Amino acid sequence: MYFPLSIWDISLWIAVTAIILLVTSELLAPYSDYFGDFVIDKTRLRLAALILGAAFMITVLLRAVMPP
Amino acid sequence: MKFMVSLKPGSKSENKENDKKSEQATVQYLMQTLENLQKENEILKRDLLKSKRTPSGKIGFILLTIGALTLIGSVVYTSTVLAFIGLGLTFWGALFLFARPFKFVKSIVLGSSAISSYTTIDRIIQDLGYKGKPIYIPPYPKEAYLPEYLKGLKEMIVYIPAEDVIAIPTIEEMAKKQFLLQNPKGICIAPPGYGLINLFEKELKTEFTQVDIERLCNSLPTIIVNNLELAKEFEINQENNLFHAKIVGSVYKDLYSSEQGFKSIHSIGCPLTSAIACALSKTTGKLVTIAKDAVSPDLQTIEIWYQTLEA
Repeated sequence: MYFPLSIWDISLWIAVTAIILLVTSELLAPYSDYFGDFVIDKTRLRLAALILGAAFMITVLLRAVMPP
Repeated sequence: MKFMVSLKPGSKSENKENDKKSEQATVQYLMQTLENLQKENEILKRDLLKSKRTPSGKIGFILLTIGALTLIGSVVYTSTVLAFIGLGLTFWGALFLFARPFKFVKSIVLGSSAISSYTTIDRIIQDLGYKGKPIYIPPYPKEAYLPEYLKGLKEMIVYIPAEDVIAIPTIEEMAKKQFLLQNPKGICIAPPGYGLINLFEKELKTEFTQVDIERLCNSLPTIIVNNLELAKEFEINQENNLFHAKIVGSVYKDLYSSEQGFKSIHSIGCPLTSAIACALSKTTGKLVTIAKDAVSPDLQTIEIWYQTLEA
């Protein structure tokens, strides 16, 4: 019994999620926080996207420092 | 009216009948009003229920729980697919909880809540027969040291003079936080935009007394349009001692409608235009009045000219 994902798998997952969030956040930028029945705090969404992006960059650096 | 009718001989029964009829009409009218109000209440209740149904919190919890269970499953069965699914669900659950929105109210509610203040101001000015233009008086900075008896000078006030002359009350009178002033005659009230100006400063992360006019003109559009979403478009320009502000799609536009018919709103401003006057007064350290305003027939565009005066 062990966690089946390596750090490089997680890095890939983080990259994909970060791209999705960054694109979503950019697409939502011109709209108000309230559209239809869906309400979201855009600032926090952007923050989450940026954090994930930074996390991916850290994993890239890790890969550079200690190649698999 | 009753007195005149009762003078006529032999018309007592007629009077009684008239009274009864008018009473019935009043009751009928009241019943109808009550019915209308009940209908309105039902609609409002439905709206409230709709607005309460913001499911992002519930969805977040559900996703988080399923994600956590899937992650545990992935460890138990050593499955990469389950691990990816678990990671995704947990992340989106957490994101839904993290990016949960603030409570929103309809802009019409904002305008309606200000109606009573303007009705009161209109009544006061009309009753006292004051003709002067309201003057925004800049306060002392919050950090400035003032003796206890002058602490009242740190609050933004609007002075409405009795006569159409530009005059300001004495420091002592302003410091006492009096409503009715005698020398010169007038009244001192809190500006309608007093609450908004605090929000503006929170967004700006500094006091308006600490910034210069250029920074104010650059930052106000961002605060009003992007941060607080009080208007769709906003621009402000300086022309000597005049400031011209153009507001498109203000949330307080309904206060300018002819149905409301407020007189004071053109001299003292709506909460938004009043907050801008406060900001100008604080930044320039000068007295500010609303020189002129122009509202488009569809109430979408409001143009205001502010004038700064030397104290």
